[in-house]
Amino acid sequence: MLRLGNPGRRINIGLIAMIFVLSVFAGRLVQLQGLDSKVYATEAAKQRVQGEKIPARRGSITDVNGHELALTVEAREIFLDPAVVEPAQREKVAATLAAELGMAKDQVAAKLADGRKRYVPVATVTPTQAGKILRHKLEGVGSKHKYLRDYPGGDLAGTLLGFVGDDGNGLSGLELLHDRLLAGRDGEQVIETGAKGQRIPMTRSTRRTPVDGRDVRLTIDRDIQWAAQKTIAEQVAATGARTGSAIVMDVQTGQVLAAANAPELDLKNWEAAPAENWVNRAVADVFEPGSTNKVITAAAALESGAVRPETVFTVKDEIRCADRVLRDSHPHPTERLTFSGVVATSSNVGTILAAEKVGDRKLHEMLRRFGFGSKPGAGFYGEEAGLLPSWEDWSGSQRCTIAYGQGISVTALQTASVYQTIANGGVRVTPSIVAGTTDEHGAFTPSAPGRQTRVVGEHTAKEVTAMLEAAVSSDGTGTMAAIDGYRVAGKTGTAMRYDAACQGYCGYTATFVGFAPADKPRLVVLAVIQDPREGHYGGEIAAPVFKKVMTFALKSKKIPPTGTTPPPVRIRAGQ
Amino acid sequence: MIRLTRFSRRFRSPGLAGASSPIWRMDGPLAVAVTALALIGTLLIWSSTRTWAPGSTGLLKKHLLNLGIGAGLAVAAAAVDHRALRAYSPLVYGAAALGLVLVITPVGSEVNGAHSWIMLGGGFALQPSEFAKLGLVLALAMLLAQPAAGGDRPRGLDVAIALGVAALTMGLVMAQPDFGTTMVLGVITAGALILSGIRKRWVVGLAVAVAAGGAAVWFLDVLEPYQVARFTAFVNPSTDPRGVGYNSTQSMNAVGSGQLFGKGLFGGGQTMGRFVPEQHTDFVFTVAGEEFGFLGSVTVVALLGVVLLRGLRIARLCENRFGMLVAGTIVCWLGFQVLINVGMTIGVMPITGLPLPFVSYGGTATFANMIAVGILQAIHMHEHRF
Repeated sequence: MLRLGNPGRRINIGLIAMIFVLSVFAGRLVQLQGLDSKVYATEAAKQRVQGEKIPARRGSITDVNGHELALTVEAREIFLDPAVVEPAQREKVAATLAAELGMAKDQVAAKLADGRKRYVPVATVTPTQAGKILRHKLEGVGSKHKYLRDYPGGDLAGTLLGFVGDDGNGLSGLELLHDRLLAGRDGEQVIETGAKGQRIPMTRSTRRTPVDGRDVRLTIDRDIQWAAQKTIAEQVAATGARTGSAIVMDVQTGQVLAAANAPELDLKNWEAAPAENWVNRAVADVFEPGSTNKVITAAAALESGAVRPETVFTVKDEIRCADRVLRDSHPHPTERLTFSGVVATSSNVGTILAAEKVGDRKLHEMLRRFGFGSKPGAGFYGEEAGLLPSWEDWSGSQRCTIAYGQGISVTALQTASVYQTIANGGVRVTPSIVAGTTDEHGAFTPSAPGRQTRVVGEHTAKEVTAMLEAAVSSDGTGTMAAIDGYRVAGKTGTAMRYDAACQGYCGYTATFVGFAPADKPRLVVLAVIQDPREGHYGGEIAAPVFKKVMTFALKSKKIPPTGTTPPPVRIRAGQ
Repeated sequence: MIRLTRFSRRFRSPGLAGASSPIWRMDGPLAVAVTALALIGTLLIWSSTRTWAPGSTGLLKKHLLNLGIGAGLAVAAAAVDHRALRAYSPLVYGAAALGLVLVITPVGSEVNGAHSWIMLGGGFALQPSEFAKLGLVLALAMLLAQPAAGGDRPRGLDVAIALGVAALTMGLVMAQPDFGTTMVLGVITAGALILSGIRKRWVVGLAVAVAAGGAAVWFLDVLEPYQVARFTAFVNPSTDPRGVGYNSTQSMNAVGSGQLFGKGLFGGGQTMGRFVPEQHTDFVFTVAGEEFGFLGSVTVVALLGVVLLRGLRIARLCENRFGMLVAGTIVCWLGFQVLINVGMTIGVMPITGLPLPFVSYGGTATFANMIAVGILQAIHMHEHRF
């Protein structure tokens, strides 16, 4: 009954169309899954495969006894994925999160407002806090492992330690200098995640384990550092000075037990401090040392054999040197002082007379051997070399002023090192600040001991020590540095301070540096105060700092008095 | 009813594999292809939904249940001969139309912006628009197989009545709104008219009318903005890869990354990561593409081809005009869905929400498709010219 003609032909046309469409599909599949498949596979993998850094834990910086001065603590970063939070849920998420974090709700809500964003950090919290927040199971709230650098001491040894940036890399101080050691090596994890960032189960996950950083143990003693820091800060405040530094050093090892500055940098809030306070002044501030430098002239004079401690000089209160008339600090009638007396009373004129017997070249040689003009290499960040012109370039008056410490410039660390050398019987030990490192398994590798160099003979060192003891006696300028029961050797310094701001000498540098016990030296302490307004003599404002810090350090290190009496030192001829 | 009893009697008396059993007269390749597609589809649905929750089997069990019901419906449909089928046609059409009316009343539920569902409770739901396809197929075949004015080809009145019947169904579906299904209904109507043997000028005239209508729809802003955007994204998927182009981009990434052999069942990262939206329904083909590779996706296309070719063959071989029209129109319906679904998945057609027959998840669609296959088998078994 059916005439197939017309519908049959139309079915055939349909058949051809169908075969055509299916062929197009097959061809397209050849292109998608064959020819161009790499492009799509790569594109797909890019969406799915996530490389995630596993941060290595940064090593701690500890004091000599292992107390942590800088440490890394585990924290969690709470972040939002606004894209997966339904607009209706935003209110609830913001309210809950704000309550947990103690933030304003609007603040959290603002971070949620842009639904196109996938990652908005909200706050950094402790792991416990993060656990509490995650228990709310809020849509679009996640937590990420993070490390935070903490400085429990606040400003304790602040400039010495330095700080790290937001990425955890050292930016200043020992944090920068030992960054590679402390940082370790970050690991990496490759995971596959789905459209909503969810972990895809059963997919590959390759991992490179992070190698944690090493701990750096310093020679710093936390307690002594704290005492030095507190004392210098108080004195800087009391004298209205610009800055100040204090150093405590071990005589035998050259290890620095304290390197304090005022003002010191609060590492918990370093960004708020002016950049000039990021500098570790104890090793980086360069100043003219003044009379503390007389020990080098004395050592050179004694070492040359031209002068003995008893050698008598006729000392006026001024002397003409080339184009200038140079004066002692106080006017006085012409005196006949022994060389010991010259040093003890800190006579500039007497020192110049002694230096004339040494000669420029030998004096320069001695200054250089004591470490002037070169960086100490103690392992601090930002050590400076100071300024020691070659003796051939010394001007007429400079030849005289260098003898009493003007016309050259040094750092506090260099000066402390000079006194360490004298205290150590003439053997200089390169100062050091890093005691050693501890690897991730806890194995301690000590630093190489400081290099020992004989600078002057033992006998010379003893004679200079006796002069320095006299300087602290009632005859000397450093009386205020004396410590009951201990024999103290030391020297005051009151230098004219060069100030670039006034293009000349404005203000003073007050110093006291010495060691104790004088007959069995263990510790060197240096105190320097820059540009004080209330008083300016080293013997008046720096010596008390020395006394306080040295007293504390002796007690702290349980160093007993030697119980001996100092040998008599003749100050004036005919005594 | 008579046929049903006869079928059961025949089925029983000489034994299941008896030489005279109609089971031997069914179209084997069609049955095999549909079974294979259903099984592959089951794996794909399992793979794409088991990641919804840890340790879950996703929609596997529900889909197996749907397939079981679908198979039963197919067998039942296969047992109905054309006379009974023609008698039921107004009933099926009417029931479907009633369902469509219900769905736009408060009885229906809205999912993804379309009022397409009647919730049955217990997690089951019906989508009357799927049955509407079936109803329209039968109604049009009935109307066009016996022209009112007699003769062997339908004339103006027949065409007008057919268009009226189609317009009612299409209008109700459009009201949901469900643009994709409306297009399928349009294709069913066009297919029925063309195969009914109407004059060529009618064909041309209708084509011009459809084109003009399409242009009017486009230029008169009848389309929802998202529909316009889909066409724009189709023309240039990179315009907004995270927005409207997202589906298309993700779909092609998944298919393409399957490469030649695929990543294996449950091994597709894009599938497990749930990058492709609606992956168990409209984009189920991407799972085949990613996990079974080129070999798998070509196999699926080939099996769909077998279903359509066998359907056309059944239409051609049918001596009965009604049967021919039903079979041919079913092929138009299924073929159009294959064209759109696979086409959009591989980026040669714009994104339109139509499931892939026999493969996609979806209860009502599975039932309707299986009934359609059952009807094809019935036509083959009972109207075959041996």
